[in-house]
Amino acid sequence: MVELALGTALAAIGAGVAVGFAGLGSGLGQGIAAAGSVGAVAEDTDMFARGIIFSALPETQAIYGFLIAILLLVFSGLLGSGEGLSTVEGLVAIGAGAAIGFAGLGSGMGQGITAASSVGAVVEDPDMFARGIIFSALPETQAIYGFLIAILLMVFGGILG
Amino acid sequence: MADSITTIVTQLGFPSIESFIALLLLGGAIIGAIVVIATIRPVLDMFPYAYPNARVRARIGRLFTEKQISEIMETDDLEEFKNYLRGFPEYAKYVDQYTLEKALDTQLAETYDLIARIAPGDIKDVFKVQLKKWDIRNIKSIITAKEAGISSEQIMELLIPFGELNEDMERLIDANTVTDIIAGLEGTEYASLLEDALPAYENTGMVLPLEAALDKYYLENLLRAAANPADENSSILHSYFGSQVDISNLKIIMRAKADGLKYDDISPYMISNGYQIRDWKLKDLMEAEDVSGVISGLEGTDYAPMLTDALSEYNSTGSIAPFEKALDSYLTKMAKTLALKKPFGVGPMIGFLSRKEMEIRNLKVIARGKREAGFPVSMIKEMLV
Repeated sequence: MVELALGTALAAIGAGVAVGFAGLGSGLGQGIAAAGSVGAVAEDTDMFARGIIFSALPETQAIYGFLIAILLLVFSGLLGSGEGLSTVEGLVAIGAGAAIGFAGLGSGMGQGITAASSVGAVVEDPDMFARGIIFSALPETQAIYGFLIAILLMVFGGILG
Repeated sequence: MADSITTIVTQLGFPSIESFIALLLLGGAIIGAIVVIATIRPVLDMFPYAYPNARVRARIGRLFTEKQISEIMETDDLEEFKNYLRGFPEYAKYVDQYTLEKALDTQLAETYDLIARIAPGDIKDVFKVQLKKWDIRNIKSIITAKEAGISSEQIMELLIPFGELNEDMERLIDANTVTDIIAGLEGTEYASLLEDALPAYENTGMVLPLEAALDKYYLENLLRAAANPADENSSILHSYFGSQVDISNLKIIMRAKADGLKYDDISPYMISNGYQIRDWKLKDLMEAEDVSGVISGLEGTDYAPMLTDALSEYNSTGSIAPFEKALDSYLTKMAKTLALKKPFGVGPMIGFLSRKEMEIRNLKVIARGKREAGFPVSMIKEMLV
């Protein structure tokens, strides 16, 4: 059995929280946006490309969570040959994971709802496409905040660099 | 730093930093679970509506605009009107198959059928009940046509090819009398209620009691299907269909009071459990002396102000049309409000069906105008909803 330092084990929890919660929000958001897009395509096949664009928007939260999780795994020594983390650094890793995880959860769901609504607006009136994209992009900011804070926590908490 | 944390943890009474972290993680897991459950629930309620509402909104986008309605009004005759409709796939497939009015009603029936198919499970029953209106309409058409001595071929032209009994309709057309039609409906939900209304028909020689029994059955079923407002979507449906019942009752009472009818004449046609007008209030309205008394009795409901506004026109013309127009307009506005109130729920479906009904009504008005040579466009415009 592999022996892990407590800090490294905590970083593993942080990675799980990061990708798990961000993925949950992203999945729910993408699901609702894709369900709306399928409805739109059923009525108008020309909506396929635009439906894909709106459905892809809530993917970013999962990508942020995935990136933070990979960074945590690499710099905690779980992936590769890096040194393990101290207990304090492990706690910082959980903070970083929670930052992107919860921000991604809320952002992904919010973006999914807006994207599904925008798909409905675009299929009703094609001129709504650009405005729909702008509105759908707004809930991205929360995920960006979470991502930035996660990076800052890792840099200044001694995990990165 | 680690030492200072360890000191704090020890001072808090924890035997080791590991036990403190374990407690911290447990607390974090509980908070995480609460956050996830609290945030996911509203999204899960929206999920079933994403697909149907996108389809509905696509169809809203295909409704005729004011400009298109003006273009249709400007067509020279019925043939040009039909040619215009041929440019729209949902109408084109019926225009060449049926007479214009039947084509329009068939398109409307198809729309209702689509909504009943795509509506999410918890509200599906309500929209399925709405499909009964096509069976009821067909039965009413056959009864009225038989009474008027219209030929089977002409009756066939009146029937809408939708509804559960669609395949039985040809058999009913061959019936000779109203009693035979009712006998032909044996085994369906409509037989017993028509049998109950048969004595009134035989006594008066009018089909009105039979038609009223069917309309009452439809609205009662609709109300029953939306009777348990378990969540916001079902309470929206309850308020909308409850208001439809109120308006149906009010129209009958207004007409009856304008004709000087009394409580006993009106009560058989009333439907209980409306939205704003409870049974005791309905009784008061039926007992009112005249139309003004009915409006006074509605004080405190949404219907009073609009009917009061229409009262002066009624007094000058003696027609109850202004009241009917005001009530219909109230229902249309209500559908519009509900569509905006719950965009990720049943709202868009209600809003769309209301607008589609209005479109078909307007197209039929234009069709009637175009059928009469030289009928002025300005008059058609006045008749539009």
